[in-house]
Amino acid sequence: MNSLKRREFLKWGIVASSLFAVGGRTPHFTRITGKADTRTKILVLGFDGLDPRLLEMWMEADKLPAFRRLRSQGDFRPLQTSVPPQSPVAWANFITGTDPGGHGIFDFMNRDLETYIPVFSGTATEEAKTTLRFGDLVLPLRGGKVRNLIKGRAFWQILEDHDIPATVFKMPSNYPPVPTKQRTLSGMGTPDIKGYYGLFNYYTDQPFRINEDIGGGRIHQVSVDKNTVEARLPGPTNTFKKDRPESTVDFKVVIDPVNPVAKISYQDQEFILKEKEWSGWKRVRFHLLPTQSVSGICMFYLKEIRPHFKLYVTPINIDPASAALPISTPESYAQELEKKLGPFFTKGLPADTSALDHDVLDEAEFLEQDDMIFREGERMFEHEFNRFDSGLLFYYVSSTDQRQHMFWRLLDQSHPMHDPGLVSTYGRTIENIYVEADRFLDSVLQRIGKDTLLLVMSDHGFNPFRRGFNLNTWLFENGYHKLRNPWRQEDTSLFDNTDWSRTKAYGVGLNGLYINQKGRERQGIVNTGADSENLIREIANKLEQVVDPKTGERAILRAFVAKDVYRGRHLDLAPDIVLGFNYGYRISWGSPLGKFPRQVFEDNTEKWSGDHMSAPEVIPGILFTNRKVRAESPALYDLTATILDVFGIAKPEEMTGRSIF
Amino acid sequence: MWTFNSLIGRMFALIFFPFRSLHPWFAMVFISFLTGLLMLFVFRLTSNQKGIRQVKDKIKAHLLELRLFKDSLPVTLKAQGQILKHNLKYISYSAKPMLVMIIPLLVILAQLNLWFGYEALRAGDTALVKVVLKKSVAPFEADVELEAPPGLAVETPPLRLVETGEVYWRIRAKKEGVHELRVKLAGQNVTKTVIVTAKPLARVCPMKSASLLDGLLFPGEKLIPSRTPLTFVEIIYPAKRLNLAGLGLHWLIPYLVLSVLFGFIFKRPFRVEI
Repeated sequence: MNSLKRREFLKWGIVASSLFAVGGRTPHFTRITGKADTRTKILVLGFDGLDPRLLEMWMEADKLPAFRRLRSQGDFRPLQTSVPPQSPVAWANFITGTDPGGHGIFDFMNRDLETYIPVFSGTATEEAKTTLRFGDLVLPLRGGKVRNLIKGRAFWQILEDHDIPATVFKMPSNYPPVPTKQRTLSGMGTPDIKGYYGLFNYYTDQPFRINEDIGGGRIHQVSVDKNTVEARLPGPTNTFKKDRPESTVDFKVVIDPVNPVAKISYQDQEFILKEKEWSGWKRVRFHLLPTQSVSGICMFYLKEIRPHFKLYVTPINIDPASAALPISTPESYAQELEKKLGPFFTKGLPADTSALDHDVLDEAEFLEQDDMIFREGERMFEHEFNRFDSGLLFYYVSSTDQRQHMFWRLLDQSHPMHDPGLVSTYGRTIENIYVEADRFLDSVLQRIGKDTLLLVMSDHGFNPFRRGFNLNTWLFENGYHKLRNPWRQEDTSLFDNTDWSRTKAYGVGLNGLYINQKGRERQGIVNTGADSENLIREIANKLEQVVDPKTGERAILRAFVAKDVYRGRHLDLAPDIVLGFNYGYRISWGSPLGKFPRQVFEDNTEKWSGDHMSAPEVIPGILFTNRKVRAESPALYDLTATILDVFGIAKPEEMTGRSIF
Repeated sequence: MWTFNSLIGRMFALIFFPFRSLHPWFAMVFISFLTGLLMLFVFRLTSNQKGIRQVKDKIKAHLLELRLFKDSLPVTLKAQGQILKHNLKYISYSAKPMLVMIIPLLVILAQLNLWFGYEALRAGDTALVKVVLKKSVAPFEADVELEAPPGLAVETPPLRLVETGEVYWRIRAKKEGVHELRVKLAGQNVTKTVIVTAKPLARVCPMKSASLLDGLLFPGEKLIPSRTPLTFVEIIYPAKRLNLAGLGLHWLIPYLVLSVLFGFIFKRPFRVEI
């Protein structure tokens, strides 16, 4: 909440300093970006999850002419991804030019060493250290902030040192944005206004439940009374109040008794939606104190009026016009974009995959939403591209990743969720997003000059997620993990049934396995040194031998021992073993949440059907450039070194990569 | 009443004509300046200038008395009584010009609200149209229709609220211009103007009503004939705010502040005692 106070202060500061500016816009006091006029410009297009095999297949089928053209004019290589090939890890490799040992991000999740409870590895939120209490009111006086936990320096910070301008659009793992005067907008990892990575609201008069292992949404049972529905939008926790209630905004939906149309009203907003219609961005203000409020933006989707009332509301995004949390550098950059282009998705990964997984949105509705995201991003790119005259521009596309996650089941006939009935309509969804990416690339290729180095990259490829591996169940069955009450095995969550005094190993995150080590974990029992080392090797060997009884295939292709694969100063944050799954396998849904399902293997019966938790050699990313590449097998961190090299900047000592040219 | 409203409306349209493409602040400063002068003029003509001057002098004298004889309680109390008495007298002198000014000022405010109160639609924008039926008309029995000219599109079927007799539609502005929506009900037509422009200053009347009071408050369009089964037709335009360094102000605030400011600035040159 300190940021709120600071923002208010800023607002009044702006008022005071430009009192006489008639019709004044918000002035930009911060000097933005470097001034150097670089001889070569670098444009980096980051398509999350673009897969080299699919690309090659569709290039050969002449469906991706722009990629083909770029390959013939320049070069194409599979791009070595990170260990593990999770997006936050992979993009952090690119940001810093190091492997996870250098930047400290090893997984989406880490664990609290005191409680063993999984925590997000990318950001940490610190509450106000000093507060003042008046009855029920709690006023923050000092401290309180959100920190980006990525270590090392981002390449645009290094460019800034050399006065080279850079604009970095929605770079994953850059929330809150690292300090810089360059224009940056935070990407994957940016939460919604409640601090979640996306919590939709769904209002219905029908009984409805969601899979808690996936989460991502809240169901509100409502009733239609005299053609009226009264409900609440949940907002952020009100930390100004002693008991920290959830702030809410009441809204009312009035429906026509016959026509499929409804009017939604709240605060000073009033709008009409037809059935199956999206509202566009709507602003909502949560009042925390008479002088303090937080503004968010969301979209309403009226899914159905009759026979059942169904209203979906997107996660409430941080309002870029009045951001309650830091989402850009300088702070005014998000406002500037909002003023020029209107409100935009600020949540890290905006497509609501949870809503599709829970059948709150169907395939068509999800794609409608993701189309909005893609087009909105294109408009923002156009805005930046039109003023890109020097330095570097990075642009990120999430739709390529999100659609592969959700629609792989229709590409893969052996997937448990393959639905032949949907194939005729949505079987080409993944191909279509590759074609969209190609169309976008084509428009860029037509407009870039010879002075522009174009790097088109993805952080990893993709493969099916057919079978889930319950790592914690396997550890339990093999005697490395002990439960206090084994008969309660299936009721366990967040390790609440674990006997830590006898547990040697546990799995947290999507690829990580940790030894319960003395002196590190609060209740650690395994001695450091040889004991721990031997145990790690023993478990790693056994994991690589695990065979799925249903398919006869090995589930884990590589069990990486952290100290063998990482370099850098932050190995202490690494899991002891990093699982590199085989093609078609991934960690199960429950295991990362400290659960112990009965079976070690399970079919993946969710729509989230494509993934990238495999051994890195299974799913490399892609690299296209408009110049010939010298490196035979370039890696993500090599691109960082390349950017510095092209601008004539010496590579910092800690950087792992080498120039690809 | 429409003739009067129309005449006044044309006068304001003439005043604001040069400002249509400029930021609304320019028009606001100008109209505040004119209002300040008008108030001074009316005040000078209708007030007892000599009396005001005398009473103000007396108040000053008694204030001086208070300071000089602050040790003497009887004198102080008497002086305070005198100050109160002359203040009341001063208020009574001001009452007449205020009463004279109140009617024209309301007319001015109603007109200014049309220019500064609402944001005209831009091509591509949507807005709600609200029709309120007379109590004698049931929304479901009345076959109420909304017909749009080529520059507008009606995007939704009617949304009817039985209890309040309201009917809503959503319209979309397709191209710039002054468009006329047509509400059809029981064989009768009521038209309502919709303004679509990118110009920063435009005269936007949100409501067309059958009520005389609404006709005074929203003098931009003719009253709906009383025999029509409608109470009013409203276009819900976005509220306009005057931006002052990032703060969106309701137009009334700068208008009143600036008018008073101009009044004070020009009272000496125009020799008006306030």
